[in-house]
Amino acid sequence: MTTAPHNILEVRNIQTFIGQFHILDGVSVDVPDGSITVLLGRNGAGKTTTLKSILGLTPPRAGQVVFNGREIQGRPAYRTAAQGIGYVPEHRAIFRDLSVAENLRIAERKPGDLARREEFIFGLFPDLKRLIRLPGGNLSGGQQQMLAVARALVPENELLLIDEPSEGLAPVVIEQMMEAIRRLSAHTTVLLVEQNFIMASRLADRYTIIETGRSIHSGLMADLVHDEATIQRYLGAAA
Amino acid sequence: MEETLPISAQSAARRWLSAWWPYLLVLAFLVLFPLLAGVTIGDPTVAQEGTGSLGNLMLRAESGAAKFWQGMIIQILIFAIFAMSYDLLLGYSGILSFGHAMFFGTGGYAIAILIGRNFDWPFGLALAAVIVIALVQSLVFGVLSLRVKGVYLAMVTLAFAEMFYILAEAGDFRVYTGADDGLHGFPVPAYLSATDHRTRFYYLTLVFFVAVFLIIKRLVDSPTGKVMVASRENENRATMIGFNTFWYKLTAFVAAGVFAALAGALSALYKVSVTPSMLSLGRTIDALAMTIIGGLGTLVGPVLGATIIQLLGYWLERWFGPSWTLIYGIIFMLIVIFLPYGIVGTLRVRSFRLKEGWKQLQQTLAGK
Amino acid sequence: MTSIWKNNRAALIIVALTVVILGGIIQTMEPKVWVSIMLSGATLASLYFLVASGLSLIFGLMDVLNFAHGVLFVLGAYVGLSTFLNPRLLFNTLPIFFVLIASIMMSQHLGRAFWSRITDTRTRRIATVVLLAAAVGLVLLALRGFPMRALNAFNITAVGGLVTTANAQDPLALMLRRLLLLALGGVPLGLLLSPAERPEEVSLRPVWQTALIAGTSALIGILLLVWRDSGEVWMLALSPDVRFILALIMGTVAGALGGVAIETGLIRPFYGNPVTQLVLTLGLSIAGIDLIEAMWGEEANPPMPTPSLFNESCRSDSIIGWFSEHCQSVDVVGRAFPTYRLFIILVGVLVFIGVGLMLRRTRLGMIIRAGVQDSEMVQALGINVRRVFTMVFALGSALAAMGGVIAAPYLGVFPAMGSIFQLQAFIAVVIGGMGSFIGAAVGTVILGMARAFGDHFVAAGIDLPFLDTVIKGSPAIARASTVLIMAIVLLVKPSGIFGKKE
Repeated sequence: MTTAPHNILEVRNIQTFIGQFHILDGVSVDVPDGSITVLLGRNGAGKTTTLKSILGLTPPRAGQVVFNGREIQGRPAYRTAAQGIGYVPEHRAIFRDLSVAENLRIAERKPGDLARREEFIFGLFPDLKRLIRLPGGNLSGGQQQMLAVARALVPENELLLIDEPSEGLAPVVIEQMMEAIRRLSAHTTVLLVEQNFIMASRLADRYTIIETGRSIHSGLMADLVHDEATIQRYLGAAA
Repeated sequence: MEETLPISAQSAARRWLSAWWPYLLVLAFLVLFPLLAGVTIGDPTVAQEGTGSLGNLMLRAESGAAKFWQGMIIQILIFAIFAMSYDLLLGYSGILSFGHAMFFGTGGYAIAILIGRNFDWPFGLALAAVIVIALVQSLVFGVLSLRVKGVYLAMVTLAFAEMFYILAEAGDFRVYTGADDGLHGFPVPAYLSATDHRTRFYYLTLVFFVAVFLIIKRLVDSPTGKVMVASRENENRATMIGFNTFWYKLTAFVAAGVFAALAGALSALYKVSVTPSMLSLGRTIDALAMTIIGGLGTLVGPVLGATIIQLLGYWLERWFGPSWTLIYGIIFMLIVIFLPYGIVGTLRVRSFRLKEGWKQLQQTLAGK
Repeated sequence: MTSIWKNNRAALIIVALTVVILGGIIQTMEPKVWVSIMLSGATLASLYFLVASGLSLIFGLMDVLNFAHGVLFVLGAYVGLSTFLNPRLLFNTLPIFFVLIASIMMSQHLGRAFWSRITDTRTRRIATVVLLAAAVGLVLLALRGFPMRALNAFNITAVGGLVTTANAQDPLALMLRRLLLLALGGVPLGLLLSPAERPEEVSLRPVWQTALIAGTSALIGILLLVWRDSGEVWMLALSPDVRFILALIMGTVAGALGGVAIETGLIRPFYGNPVTQLVLTLGLSIAGIDLIEAMWGEEANPPMPTPSLFNESCRSDSIIGWFSEHCQSVDVVGRAFPTYRLFIILVGVLVFIGVGLMLRRTRLGMIIRAGVQDSEMVQALGINVRRVFTMVFALGSALAAMGGVIAAPYLGVFPAMGSIFQLQAFIAVVIGGMGSFIGAAVGTVILGMARAFGDHFVAAGIDLPFLDTVIKGSPAIARASTVLIMAIVLLVKPSGIFGKKE
């Protein structure tokens, strides 16, 4: 894949507090158009908070978030999302009491979104078509994760924020999920958080390492896989 | 060795004094208040021949405005006990109970009924019985309510308290409770009558107040209290460390219940009357307002809050007549909006900032 | 089918148990007795449901327990009563609200310019206090000496004796002066409520739209005032049925507006701080009732007359007969039962079906159900959850107020009616499970039936086999004993029958 000339998303030195806790202390991430960028780092480093800060769920106190050339920090999350950012949270936060169909329909931003994208979505996740009438809560973990990704694909999103898609899934399902993310990345840019370094290294074009609330390292994934020292130092046993 | 010991003892005393002097000052004021009031605002015409100057002073303290203001402080102290017990729940343990009036009212009713004509128990026995009743009551409802958390607990405790309110108002137990009239003029022992021996009652309340203050302070400073606060901050973590938070919350609930019942009994004795309104949501809101206005999670806060609310209520009622509760409600909401940490809490935040600022200034001056 | 069983096992068991207990009780009675008791229970359940459903939805969606919900019930009852009997009160007070709202809306546009000039927090705080004082001062000045009591002294409400309309209302010129002052008072209020203080929350309409809405609002207010005399005559000449429908609409709308005011003023600034929200609504539950007492008097009003559809003094043999006869009561298996109470039951059922369909079938309903589980995620999908919050708050408040209006002919209108219904609604919601619409329905039915049968048995006396005396009591005992049901459910399933959230 060729790297696009401009960055669809630029996070510049954001500072985020949750209550009194200083969670992010200077995180910068560039996400080139059309790429898969992955945020790496240990548990609690601030990867999830970075995604939430981009979206505005935990608004940053300082720094800029530039999406498509416009500064979007400080806006309410629903407006940022409506600009074309899809979010797949960790722990697959689907709506358990809503049916699979409703889980998809609720993500429509204008009528007919689902009808337009149905073929693509069910092409990626054929299982969901079969389960369409079941309540989301009755799905297996893998199916729920697929639904969560599918939900983010319903509207025309230019950027997907995907948080730990492989967490708690069986190896076979992880393979499926990777395949799906690879295929959908042909249509949208992806910013991924992933603990599973093997999965991350096989999927991503670029990476940014976050350590205790700071982004300390970023570059091409192709370079990182050969850089044993960096992997050992920042990602520890994960590699 | 022998030379250093007195010095360390001396410094210990000094440290103790420097930590406690504001409390001691307030306590000294409260102890001396009847005498001071007797001298300044008491009625000088009540002096009698042959009773000596101290005797006359006591007589003056029992008269006029001196007597009135002692009554005011008695009520403040009673509500302070009630509010402190509420703060033990809300401020220290994070239990949002909307049914705390249930203990206050039950304490009042219990003492009134037990020394009243139906039972005619001796006073000491009745007071002991009040504590036992409160213990049992708070155990039972604590076990039931603490099965749920947060707003559920608020609703559930409210429902329990309302049950007592409805029963106190019901005509079915008129013989005991006096239904919606309540009980008036039950035989409080003559030596405790607040009309005849106001100063004596004043000191009795003061003793209770100081005792409850010290007990609660001891409790919240103890390891048990630390666990209570820990489980308020993060219940899951406290559970994970291995504390059964339920028992700590129950301890707080029972202690709070007993102290509230004590406050209710004192109130009944002081006013020689109990009414169903002692069990109503309005009483709980009083405690809540006092705690929040003064400052959650502090012991001085509820006392300050009780003082402010009692005096505010007194003045508002004088200025606005019957519609004062409306003004009171609005002031209450404004305080919650604009002073979210209460008075003591806000002051602490301020002084913390001041201290930080002072430190920084010193560091800059020192050239660091 | 199996999944329904699996998901709601406890719920189904408890419901089945209730049915069995009810069946057992019914076995010992004649049909005409138990049918009329159950209808009474259903009447109560219907009213409880109108309060409880909103309470439960609001809690489920935004984790706010609205302690002021009972105030909205009372508000609905009083507004309904005034619309029905005493329209002059409305004609004289509604303009106040219309003008105030218009002024607040317009000055919110000034807000952005105003607040952006003040940057440091200290000046901001001082400005807030000054604005607040100005707003309170102007509004109080505008309303000083407003003849509330005289306006209320009408026909059956014997507050201060009967005062004729001409004597009761202020002269037009004075009223217009009041409105002018209110319009001025709305400016600082609008600045205080302006989005510039919390820019992330609200997007302003274009100025011309606001001007249009505010202008219409102010115009309606002034027209109402100008035409107040002919308006009163016209309204009182309408048939009681039409007036009842008007009362229902006015009460419900008042409730909805009250809900919006509570949500924007007391709830919205404090999301993430639930104790503050709770304490504020608690404070409002006291101050709100005081305010209603200040407006309408503390005295209990006799029941509002029932609409003429339910008011002929006769007894229909069946519901079909009632359609032509409009009798007060109808024969139900050999016992007379008031037709108006059947109407109350019908309203409850219709609201249950209507809101239920809204939740199941519409996009808004879907968003609400999703928001009950995870409102942050709904937000992340690009949906303005805060606006849905306000809508649901308005809906819940409207339902409670509507309950107040239809309860008015049945119970009378008095300030304490709200706290009674609110408490029972709390209990019903705890039984049914907070946040569950079905749970609110089931909880209220259980509670209504328990109350009706409880009242019956307590009044008739319970003959326990191991006691010599027959236990008798007042309705208060039955009222208190509903708390026991709650305690039992809590012991078995702390989250309530249909509850999922802890």
